[in-house]
Amino acid sequence: MDFKELVAGRHEYAKAWKARKGGKVIGWFETYFPEELAYAAGLLPVRILAEHEPDIISDKWIYAACYPVKDMANQLLLGRMDYIDGFVNTEGCQWMFNVYEVATNNAPQLFKHYLFLPDYTESKSSKDVLRSELDVLKTRFEEWLGVTITDEALDNAIEVYNKNRTLLRTICELRRADKPVILGSEFMNLLLADQVMDKAEMNVILEQFLAELQAREGRDMVRLMLIGSETWDSKLEELIESLGGNVVIDELENGTNYFWNNIYPQEDRLMAISLRYLGRNNHPVKDSNWRRRPQRIFELAEDYFVDGAIIAKQIYCHPHGTDNYEVWKILRERNIQYHYFERDMTVPKEETQLHLEAFMNMLRAGITRLVGWHNKIEI
Amino acid sequence: MTHEYWKWPESSRVYEDAGWKAPGEATAGVDIGTTSAQAAVMLGGRLLGYSNVRVGADFRKSAKDALDLAMAGTGAAPADLAAIAVTGFAKNSVDFASKAIDEVQCHAKGARFMYGPDVRTLIDMGGQTVKAIRLFDWDRVRDFMIGDKCATGEGRRIEVLCDIMHVGITEIGPKSLEAEKDPEPVSTTCWAFGGTETLGLFGRPEFRSPKMSEAEIYASYLFSIAWRIIGVAGRLSPLDVGKIEIDGTLGLTGGLAKNPGITARIERELGVKAAVSEYDPMLAGAIGAALLAR
Repeated sequence: MDFKELVAGRHEYAKAWKARKGGKVIGWFETYFPEELAYAAGLLPVRILAEHEPDIISDKWIYAACYPVKDMANQLLLGRMDYIDGFVNTEGCQWMFNVYEVATNNAPQLFKHYLFLPDYTESKSSKDVLRSELDVLKTRFEEWLGVTITDEALDNAIEVYNKNRTLLRTICELRRADKPVILGSEFMNLLLADQVMDKAEMNVILEQFLAELQAREGRDMVRLMLIGSETWDSKLEELIESLGGNVVIDELENGTNYFWNNIYPQEDRLMAISLRYLGRNNHPVKDSNWRRRPQRIFELAEDYFVDGAIIAKQIYCHPHGTDNYEVWKILRERNIQYHYFERDMTVPKEETQLHLEAFMNMLRAGITRLVGWHNKIEI
Repeated sequence: MTHEYWKWPESSRVYEDAGWKAPGEATAGVDIGTTSAQAAVMLGGRLLGYSNVRVGADFRKSAKDALDLAMAGTGAAPADLAAIAVTGFAKNSVDFASKAIDEVQCHAKGARFMYGPDVRTLIDMGGQTVKAIRLFDWDRVRDFMIGDKCATGEGRRIEVLCDIMHVGITEIGPKSLEAEKDPEPVSTTCWAFGGTETLGLFGRPEFRSPKMSEAEIYASYLFSIAWRIIGVAGRLSPLDVGKIEIDGTLGLTGGLAKNPGITARIERELGVKAAVSEYDPMLAGAIGAALLAR
């Protein structure tokens, strides 16, 4: 299964889905968006992904934001996603909010909704606040589409999404092996395809893919963890692989954070959804009270036996970077080698390659399973 | 002809008696950067010859010219060498080398050769990037940081200012040290901002606020560059993030290591004395590449 092709063909897929099912498409930006609610309303939730395309139009609307956000605005304003019938933005990154505003202001006929999600995810009232916000969104979907979102529809959506997340976790677990059968770039493309496709259809594909993986031979490479701002595509992973490394685990919003936690069903379906999104692995802006993300990064690094971690922050990404100090500290104290650098989707390949190449050469010299214990100290 | 104030002295040297009779054993390293190119030929841990030249529009040709110059007059040719390694910004555009090695490993190796085994913190300050490297006791890299974003081009920005202000590149550093006390640095955000602010300070003296002497303006400019470099090095602190502590002896390499206006300010702010070497600090990358070539 070529997941990269699925991602590349996402616009055609969404158009074909609309023609086939006669439904509407809802665009979303943040992984805090409760897709289950949209799915239960009969919508196709599609994530807006950034690309490496020369930006020609967004400067008029968004200035000095991170490049992915400018690219999203560029694509939306150029009409690449004109099949989208509405947008929902969830409280989180301010730049994403800008794109949401630009997209909806330029197409006032579209459905738009801003979903508030408390920054303090663990305070006493957070779950009730989000539940009431979900109720508002549910009502708005119902009014817009002229349907009633029943408990049965919500149960079905929760089941489909839980199955999807379980399949993704199962595939992700295979990366813990000494010789992983899946490369980081393939897994990233798989995840991105998952975020733009109908989940029931994606589940069938994932089951087939899981069966395919059983027959694969794995490879031992420099095991890396990727941390930082959302990457939006697999180019960074591909560059790492060309240099002899493999991303075996990540802590990215479009990576493991997207699927790590399931919904625990309960009678109050909206509360179940609320608890899932508040209880998921925290994004840095939702982590300012407890700072649990650094500890989680360490635990993932340990669990997936990484040789080192790459922290690649997008230039002008304001959510990421706020907890750099804590992340560096915990990795340094616990002797996990890491390299931090700021990247931009427009940064030349050579410059990014130098960071990765030097880091992997540094690690490789000390990895006895790759070079042998008797290897001379020289690099 | 207009005087080129930015121009730094190029150099080359061949040690005639240093073993050229057995060139098949020798290795060469070429460091082809954005601004300068160096070549070093090594045999048995000894430097046989080197060159340090300005890079032209054609990186490949510049790299070849540097290597030819390092071997000129010896009777040996690049084909006689056991291996050639290339490093630096344009390493992937050079096709005559047997190996391309990243700059961090090469500078680490070269600095150990130049400054000895005590060096555990190294700052390479080139035309384009600043690299801070921390080493183990032995010559293996422990951690590194590369300057990025707008704050790159530290070496090149000095060349530009020298040309505009008609001050020789070898003079700006000593002149800046004539200031009795360093003023606040100009903008450290990016070199375009820093340069513009500095040129503003050179405006009509009666409008300068505060009134600054020429030496103080140079001091302010070079301090802003040193400040950025210290910022990159500070992220490598071995004990705790947030504190700048230099581990072991400090080694400085790259073109800016020859500018006393930069090195003195780095030493002052970090509270350490940098190691000295008989070799040109710009040669570290090429020497390291030659040592790692096999």
